[in-house]
Amino acid sequence: MPNMVGNKPLKTTLLYILAFSVLIVMVSPYLFMVLGSLSPWDEVDRRIIPTELTLRSYEWLFFGGEGVLARPWLRALFNSLFVTLSSTVLMMATAILVGYSLAKLKFRGNRLINNVILFQMFYPAVILLIPLFLIIRYLGLYDTYWAMILPKAVNLWAIFMYTNFFRSLPDELLEAAKMDGASQLKIVWKVVLPMSKSITTIIFLFLFMERWVELLWDMLVVNSENMLTLNVLLAQMFGPYGGYPGPMYAASVLLTMPILVLFIIFSKNFKNGMQFVLK
Amino acid sequence: MNKSNARLGWLFASPYLIYSLIFFLFPLLWATYLAFTNWNLIAPDYEFVGIQNFIQAFFTDTVRAAFFVTYKFLAMFVPIVVAGALFLAVLIHSLPKFKGLFSVAFFLPYLASGVASAIVVNGILSYNSPFNIWLRGTFGLDIDWLGSAILAPLIIALMMAWKFAGYYALLFVAGLESIPKEIYEASAIDGAVGWKRFWHITLPMLYPSFYTVTILAVGLMFGIFTEPYVLTGGGPDLATHTWQLEIYSQAFERLNAGFGTAIAVINSVVTFGSILVFRKILEKWGAKHGWE
Repeated sequence: MPNMVGNKPLKTTLLYILAFSVLIVMVSPYLFMVLGSLSPWDEVDRRIIPTELTLRSYEWLFFGGEGVLARPWLRALFNSLFVTLSSTVLMMATAILVGYSLAKLKFRGNRLINNVILFQMFYPAVILLIPLFLIIRYLGLYDTYWAMILPKAVNLWAIFMYTNFFRSLPDELLEAAKMDGASQLKIVWKVVLPMSKSITTIIFLFLFMERWVELLWDMLVVNSENMLTLNVLLAQMFGPYGGYPGPMYAASVLLTMPILVLFIIFSKNFKNGMQFVLK
Repeated sequence: MNKSNARLGWLFASPYLIYSLIFFLFPLLWATYLAFTNWNLIAPDYEFVGIQNFIQAFFTDTVRAAFFVTYKFLAMFVPIVVAGALFLAVLIHSLPKFKGLFSVAFFLPYLASGVASAIVVNGILSYNSPFNIWLRGTFGLDIDWLGSAILAPLIIALMMAWKFAGYYALLFVAGLESIPKEIYEASAIDGAVGWKRFWHITLPMLYPSFYTVTILAVGLMFGIFTEPYVLTGGGPDLATHTWQLEIYSQAFERLNAGFGTAIAVINSVVTFGSILVFRKILEKWGAKHGWE
């Protein structure tokens, strides 16, 4: 950095070359995964760039191979999408309602709830793991979608974020809408939410990402093969089928692509939205 | 008016209240009780055993391994991820254009599932991989990466650093952007430029970001599960056996629900204590540079 004055264009070019090289390094595991999934089987893990591309790994994944039955990978992908979406939508809805009530509806007990939420956020969740599992079992929810969705239907961090954000919205605006006779629910939907687009995008992305890669809980509460999420199925298959790296890469691609695509679609306002979350 | 507000407030907050009752308060009480029993997850009968679980934990190899392994992970992961994130942040910050684009690109590893990245790492390190063949051919090095008690945790620490560096970098970028220009101008008059400026001005000014990133990174190390579960299974010789693996295997593989809960309680206390110590150390460093 020092003594580069007068060499500005050169310095800038070097910076971009460096930034681009780092970018390649950061995304190389993804490239490795995609190339591995498309490689002929005798080249998987043996060559970085395959000599030809083939879909054999994906075929094996969906239709099985000699002596190996196909596993329900597509069903697992559906399970992952269904569980993650339901859980994320519920977390968003509850966070918006609870956040709004804590920030804008001044009622007795409001501050108490706020403090309890803060306490819960810092309370180590690991202690609850075993009793939560037992509750699911006693409620008869073991091996159902409910077991994966209900305990992850409320997210404290999202409530906290929305509460703080809604507090920063001017009261006058809401009062005006109220004068026009709008109900509180309508105010949330028509006035508050449109003003919260960037933070909503970021919170949604974070909740979705976190839910998508959950392993331990989904592994515990679900047992039958048709109920497993893609992440769990892949983790379980990796042991016995580690000798078939090609299909394992194909399944990894299946697991990674939806979330990459989702993220890239919403990434336009990523940096601005993050600024609020990181504060 | 106010009364309807109050009713509506409680109504809107009710999903949270019901949830907390069923999925927080009740399991919390249950956990407190379970930790003092010898229940095995199946049998109808079990006994209250007092603090026996906690004493037993002290003498259990796997619990002790989890305790020490976590600090090994900490010592490897925290410096790597803090340095990596800082490097990425300075890089992003010094680009005249496309800051947002590179922020997004460096963040992409955060999206990776630990399962998928474990599979990729396993492939890169497999015996006949181009990487290992190159090492053998060029340096005559034949390394059993995941079979080494030092390399296996290092590899997991690197995987996690890859995943989190781009995320933590955003915190540093926010910190860099909040440093007022006047400070640089004033320090330039005093002759602080280049590395000297970075070391004596920029780094101390970044203290709030350092604080947040370090605490997040430390906390993360007490909750590792996916990567060692898929990649090493806790091995070799418990070298990557984390708290979460220990709690999982005690409660759900050996069915010691009572003992497992006690270990979870110990894990929480250790986590709290360790984070507290790190906070004190960081605050001391901050105070030296004028941060309250």
